[in-house]
Amino acid sequence: MSAFFDMGGYAAFVWPAYSVTFAVVVLNIVWARQSLARARQDARRRLAARAEAP
Amino acid sequence: MTWTWFHRLGSPPYVYALAARLTPWFAWPAALLILGGLWGGLVLAPPDYQQGEGVRILYVHAPSAWMSLMVYTSMAIAGAVGLIWRIKVAHAVAASCAPIGASFTVAALVTGALWGKPMWGTYWEWDPRLTSELILLFLYLGYMGLRTGIEDTQRADRASAVLAVVGLVNVPIIHYSVTWWNSLHQAPSVMRLAKPSMAPSMLIPLLMMLLGFTLLFGALLLVRLRGEILSRERAASWIREVVGA
Repeated sequence: MSAFFDMGGYAAFVWPAYSVTFAVVVLNIVWARQSLARARQDARRRLAARAEAP
Repeated sequence: MTWTWFHRLGSPPYVYALAARLTPWFAWPAALLILGGLWGGLVLAPPDYQQGEGVRILYVHAPSAWMSLMVYTSMAIAGAVGLIWRIKVAHAVAASCAPIGASFTVAALVTGALWGKPMWGTYWEWDPRLTSELILLFLYLGYMGLRTGIEDTQRADRASAVLAVVGLVNVPIIHYSVTWWNSLHQAPSVMRLAKPSMAPSMLIPLLMMLLGFTLLFGALLLVRLRGEILSRERAASWIREVVGA
């Protein structure tokens, strides 16, 4: 198992590379969901503002 | 030949509903392919005879680099469709692409640097492939900056689409940089007309990662596209239904 994590001496390069890519994938999922949630909220607010106006 | 499907793809409520319906069909296969590709790349694939275990960076570097180019090309095509046929949804697609592409370009540059250090002895070199990929990042950032800088959405759509289309010239430069110039970077071993020069034990996990990332892009794009469509539609009554106000 420790041989796996050692990556034949390349651990200091292999694991950061995988971590960065993993972070980019996760952040993309979070950001995409956030941007949709924000747009939905804005749309709801716009509709509410229009309903109040005479 | 009827063109109704084309017209429907220009209709925001139709595309909004379609995007919501299609998202899981991209997201779940993407998750399975990426998990399978990770297992194949980190565990099953053999170490390289020259690079040893360091070669495993391939399975995250190549998909990130592929995303950076494929997303940019999609963005430019969507922008061009928006310019030519004046389709709002196409501009919304283009705008949705930019942050996804920019982030994977960063991943490609960082994983490339982490691969370059042990194999070439340097994190960075002003090499044709590396430099043109860095320019791609600046194109994405310029595209996003231009969009935030222009208040009016329609003008932002048109101006940013022109930038995306002009910047498309960089995509073949990146791809062929390793053949046109004497580059540190290796030549393509999968994306070429001849048979891929790679053993199946390495090629299969790589292809799984490439396809998985591509489907992930589809899922991310569909989610972002819904947000873009909502923010562009001002007075449409269908919005009331989908946001439940």
